[in-house]
Amino acid sequence: MLLLPLLALLSLPFCLAAISAESAHEKLVKLAASNNGLIKLDDSLYGLLTHPKRTWSASVHLTAMDPRRRCTPCKEFDPSFSAVAKAWTHVPQAQRDTHFFATADFDNAMGTFQKLGLQSAPVVHIHLAAEGDRRPASGRSAPIVYDFSNGFDAGPLAEQLSAYTPVAIPYKAPIDFAKYGTAAGVALIILSGIRFFLPILRSRWAWAAGTVLTSLVMTAGFMFVRIRGMPASGANGQWIAPGYQNQYGQEVQVVSFVYGLLSAAFLMLTLVTPYQTHSSRQRLQVYLWSGVIFVMFSVLISLFRVKNRGYPFKLLL
Amino acid sequence: MPATKTAPPAKKAGSSPLLSLWKAYNETTSTRLKTIDSFLVFLMLSGIVQFLYCILITNFPFNAFLAGFASCVGQFVLTASLRAQVNPANRNEFKEVSPERAFADFALGSIVLHFFVYNFLG
Amino acid sequence: MPLAYSLPSNLSPATVTNTSSLLRIISLALISGAAIASRLFAVINFESIIHEFDPWFNYRATRVLAEKGFYAFWNWFDHTAWYPLGRVVGGTIYPGLMATSGVIYNVLHALNLPVDIRNICVLLAPGFSALTAWSTYMFTKEMKDESAGLLAAAFIGIAPGYISRSVAGSYDNEAIAIFLLMFTFYSWIKALKTGSAFFGTLTALFYFYMVAAWGGYAFITNMIPLHALTLILMGRFSSRLYVAYSSWYAIGTLASMQVPFVGFQPVRTSEHMAALGVFGLLQIVAFAELVRAHVSSKQFQSILFGSVIGIGLLGALAFGGLTYKGWIAPWTGRFYSLWDTGYAKKYIPIIASVSEHQPTAWPSFFMDLQFLIFLFPAGVVLCFRELRDEHVFVIIYAVVASYFAGVMVRLMLTLTPVVCVAAAVAFSSLLDTYIDPVEPEASDAAASPAEGTSAAGAAAAASDAGSSKKAKKAAAPDPGVASGILAAVAPSGSGPKSRGIFGLDTRGLVVFNALGMLLFFVLHCTYVTSSAYSSPSVVLASTNPDGSQHIIDDFREAYYWLRQNTPEDAVVMSWWDYGYQIAGMADRPTLVDNNTWNNTHIATVGKAMSSSEEVAYPILRKHDVDYVLVIFGGLIGYSGDDINKFLWMVRIAQGVWPEEIQEPNYFTPKGEYRIDDAAPATMKNSLMYKMSYYRFAELFGGNQAVDRVRGQQVPKTGPTLDYLDEAFTSENWIVRIYQVKKEDPLGRDLKAANAFANGKKRKKSKPLSRRRAVA
Repeated sequence: MLLLPLLALLSLPFCLAAISAESAHEKLVKLAASNNGLIKLDDSLYGLLTHPKRTWSASVHLTAMDPRRRCTPCKEFDPSFSAVAKAWTHVPQAQRDTHFFATADFDNAMGTFQKLGLQSAPVVHIHLAAEGDRRPASGRSAPIVYDFSNGFDAGPLAEQLSAYTPVAIPYKAPIDFAKYGTAAGVALIILSGIRFFLPILRSRWAWAAGTVLTSLVMTAGFMFVRIRGMPASGANGQWIAPGYQNQYGQEVQVVSFVYGLLSAAFLMLTLVTPYQTHSSRQRLQVYLWSGVIFVMFSVLISLFRVKNRGYPFKLLL
Repeated sequence: MPATKTAPPAKKAGSSPLLSLWKAYNETTSTRLKTIDSFLVFLMLSGIVQFLYCILITNFPFNAFLAGFASCVGQFVLTASLRAQVNPANRNEFKEVSPERAFADFALGSIVLHFFVYNFLG
Repeated sequence: MPLAYSLPSNLSPATVTNTSSLLRIISLALISGAAIASRLFAVINFESIIHEFDPWFNYRATRVLAEKGFYAFWNWFDHTAWYPLGRVVGGTIYPGLMATSGVIYNVLHALNLPVDIRNICVLLAPGFSALTAWSTYMFTKEMKDESAGLLAAAFIGIAPGYISRSVAGSYDNEAIAIFLLMFTFYSWIKALKTGSAFFGTLTALFYFYMVAAWGGYAFITNMIPLHALTLILMGRFSSRLYVAYSSWYAIGTLASMQVPFVGFQPVRTSEHMAALGVFGLLQIVAFAELVRAHVSSKQFQSILFGSVIGIGLLGALAFGGLTYKGWIAPWTGRFYSLWDTGYAKKYIPIIASVSEHQPTAWPSFFMDLQFLIFLFPAGVVLCFRELRDEHVFVIIYAVVASYFAGVMVRLMLTLTPVVCVAAAVAFSSLLDTYIDPVEPEASDAAASPAEGTSAAGAAAAASDAGSSKKAKKAAAPDPGVASGILAAVAPSGSGPKSRGIFGLDTRGLVVFNALGMLLFFVLHCTYVTSSAYSSPSVVLASTNPDGSQHIIDDFREAYYWLRQNTPEDAVVMSWWDYGYQIAGMADRPTLVDNNTWNNTHIATVGKAMSSSEEVAYPILRKHDVDYVLVIFGGLIGYSGDDINKFLWMVRIAQGVWPEEIQEPNYFTPKGEYRIDDAAPATMKNSLMYKMSYYRFAELFGGNQAVDRVRGQQVPKTGPTLDYLDEAFTSENWIVRIYQVKKEDPLGRDLKAANAFANGKKRKKSKPLSRRRAVA
């Protein structure tokens, strides 16, 4: 109960300092128009934008772009937010001026970050209108936090922010000319070189190599690494991810190599060694490949024991 | 469906290749195969009629249309299979299927097919 | 002709054949026995009980089928599921599984064997695994020979990748589906090899059975056309292909439309269009071949070729146009998520939330297939070496299935058969080579390889069953490894055979090595099956300090409490995972269950669970909810509980009400998921949190309460509940049931009423609530 007057007291200087809502709005419109629809915030402007009597809504992007802060996600996300803000400038003025896009950099708006108690960036807050006909039915004044679970791309950002803007944000992903260009180029090269590629396409062993490589890589958990976006190796150089349902990118290479070697050893024993007409050399080969199988299998088992600690069996290692 | 396929070559190459095709067909095909072929043509026409009815008038009992159309298509391919199997030119391809066996297969396939058609008419 | 070891020479060929066929039958019988026995761990360790979640629904449906007959089952409308919507069961399930057990039940009863329907359901999967072993044997026999077939049958019989879905009690569609899959593939290969419409029809019939049994039938629907298309592109079109494919497609498609759940999909959706397209293409190609046989004019033939391509393009365009116009439905989300792997998480979080839809890490592959997983590429290479039509099938299957298994854990099931087949081919080739007693001519003995003697050696080798086929490889004059590879890889040459193994020690080593691996595989499978795949998840087991087994039976305890103590129409709300179990064991109506067909309804439950009591109460009242059930593992460390699933509830609710529920609010500012003092207010106020930790701290007396799953300390003053009453908590606190209070008789807000009661009669409040709970 003591909290309420205290809060009021705290916000008092703000209210006094703040100009009336109308003039704040005008200022914001000007600022937005001058910078591609994106307002650069400092502490006072932040107060202005989140005016307690605002009739507008705003998306505020809190970030730390200074290289000293070493925030890589911030750098990844910043262009997306700017692109969406730019797309918003194409909306007719009547709707455009009821929603603002703003960026607050940590180094310019340290006070804001402290006030919000933010310790990580980037963060996007959506402030709904507090007054006027765009005031939400729930009367919610606390900002909504944007959910980054869909990644840092502009597409989902525009899609989700559109829920809070008067009209949907007309964001269109730019056409990736480079991608289409390379695709067309590769297609052209293949088409022009069809004479040289045709023997490869017709060769069964080229297909066999492709097939075997695919299944080796897939059974070594390649799709897991791709879908989960696992790093190639963990922190402090460890390359085996702990845990049974987990793995790093390097494990794919190692495991598929082990599988491939074992597979090749079996094939050598079955297909190649019998053609050796020199009995002692053949014996040598048989011993060699059997040894390879035994050793590599032990290595594989020991790898598996690292992942699955309860596994009771082991061979050599 | 074969009828539609012969149409484009007919336009481009004139009628003489078609005529020679007809001639070669008449000369080399046994009566038995011709009987099968006439049945195939009948099935095809019946299927086309049903399809036109579906497109032009109504597809209302869609399952009934599907059943009727599928019975035509199914019977067509089963008969075409029978034709391929009893064709003496294909003898070395179907080493394990004698003409009698082929007919038994055909009968079994047709019975199963029409059992489902009957069930699907609704 | 030197032999490495002597063979008995006084046996007639007839005796050898008879003995080997007897041995085959005996081994198949033994393999079936092993396949069934290895799936019975669950019954022995626990009891004859239905496992997990989905099987409980299948079991319930089968009971309806067995008790009320087929027509009642077919027209069954389940009022108690998806309260208040209900569910048309007949039209929304694959009835193959229930029909199968219904038939078995009726046959056994007609024979006066009064078997309980539950035991049939429990033992159906092991029974069918024996049939799977047999059909894999038949399939592999078509690939190589009988010995490879026996190995494949043994592999699939005990491979954990298949056991994981078919232990006794896991009464799910997959239990019979893998048998149907393998048998459909076998009859397809047989139809293709012989060109017989009989096998085509058989393929179609088993395809129909498969469609009636499992949603995974789409795999067959696309595998067979892919195989046919590849054969056409390889220039291997034959009338046999035409007969096999046409008879399968014409009958199979019509048959598949008889299943109500599938309906008109085979002519309306993109998943099935590949089959239709290849069917059309085959008709065109067949007709073109026929015309070509009659006309030899060069010009005409080129025109024919052009028109075939033209019609093919036209068909593709028509397909695109029809999809665009909406006549053909585009790929469904579930199917699409296999290609675009980020798709499900973005648009269908329900699918992404299921643990068996997660991608597979390599330890799972190794766990499920052990040494088969690296024999598998070797088998594929051997298939390339011969490359008959049926080998092309195995190759395509291998690539497709290994991709799918990498994307989704549950599709490991479709990978397992092909791995077993390919590994069996590789393994039996190895054994064939090293058991064959014929020794080749040594080149170090004679100056030049004697062609004549090695030809004699080849003739002698023909008496041995497995080795004769390989007699077609050319011999390399230079005995280097590189040329050996060349000789193995090169297409069959003309020279006589000069391959073989010298000496007994080499044979002994390789065969010993191989047998050791087989033995290790058996040990591995036994270990994995008994430890990982045989827990019913309805009954949990832990080990006492003295090593004896301790059974944790909280789920059944709670469900039976519901059954005994609540009115029959009391609606129970829980997260959807437990819907089928509540319906099956407690026999009470549920709001949502594992048949996740209505996302909004699930999101409603998610919203109720993740918002505060005040917000949740009107939702509960509107849906007539009487009891709320939560799973809480914090006391004994059961990690599959609702707090761990909570984020999915939030996510799914957020998908429908993005303004009211936001995932970030359930994390600390640092982005951690916490339940201790540092937990955010939204989290602490959520119904789920309150119900899970209600009175949890009291259990520890004055000590610090610890959640054993999260490993965090629970606040000493636990949450309070105003709108719900604790009704029941099971022995180990895994299941907690709360009763939803009715509106206050005096018309007060329940919170105010509670505060009033607490303020006035603090001492009486506890006994009061207990009395209400029992009522």
